[in-house]
Amino acid sequence: MTQKIKGMNKKENINQQVNEALDSFDGAQRASTSAYLLTRIRARMANEQNSVWEQAGRFIARPWVFALGLFLIIGTNVLLIINNNNAATTSVAEQISTPDELSNTVATLYDFENNEP
Amino acid sequence: MEQLQQGNESAFSKLVDEWQDMVYNTAIGIVQNPQDADDITQEVFMQVYQSISSFKGESKFSTWLYRITLSKALDQEKKKKRKKRFAFVQQLFGNQGEELVQSIEFEHPGILMEKKESAQALFKALKQIPDNQRIAFTLHKLEGQSYLEIAEIMNTSLYAVESLMSRAKANLKKQLNKYYSNNNQ
Repeated sequence: MTQKIKGMNKKENINQQVNEALDSFDGAQRASTSAYLLTRIRARMANEQNSVWEQAGRFIARPWVFALGLFLIIGTNVLLIINNNNAATTSVAEQISTPDELSNTVATLYDFENNEP
Repeated sequence: MEQLQQGNESAFSKLVDEWQDMVYNTAIGIVQNPQDADDITQEVFMQVYQSISSFKGESKFSTWLYRITLSKALDQEKKKKRKKRFAFVQQLFGNQGEELVQSIEFEHPGILMEKKESAQALFKALKQIPDNQRIAFTLHKLEGQSYLEIAEIMNTSLYAVESLMSRAKANLKKQLNKYYSNNNQ
């Protein structure tokens, strides 16, 4: 019984706190900026006009520009890898044929040498 | 406004003087960080200066300003989240990088002294609900905007704002319940 009452009291207490929190903005005043806002705005405008590099940097830092750049780099790499693989297959075939020829040649020479008295 | 569109500097300084607190208060309500809110305020007025010629007067000037502020504030939040993720990845690879956690509790300077503690919990809960609900709630409670004005700012119907507000309150209640249940244990 006592626990039940305690539980109800706790719930009521929480409800009261929630309602107080929801009403806590009532009567609030506007927050004000710190002094010399206009001076800071002018300084920043002058700064931004000067720095072309910053503007270029901001353009590159845009998510879609960054994503496009990344896609291009990865795409180029993938293409290069595929092309290299094809070239590698051909050269392996060439490498296989060359020792065969060589071995044939060596065998022929060996045979020739063995034929000597 | 015409003077401003012609590039009149004193008209611009008057405009900043008149609207700076509105912009700052809206931004700080969303990003919950005074420095970020200050940065956003500067960026908003820079954009106003650069694109005032595109303001045709189809909506109220305040509506246009609120829209720019909200979009900048949400952008800033995204940037911060991206930075946090990057810092987390850096830490995984053993690089210290920037500090991950900024766990200092946010205190809005305009909240009444006796409500500061409850407001901290509410700000924490606001971070957990969807953006559009948070925007509607913040504009109504911190900026004192009517549902009709919020509908205009968010470019939606009055009914949609009413629905957003009731969902925001329900979600906030849920988050606050969780918060106070954990804290009262």
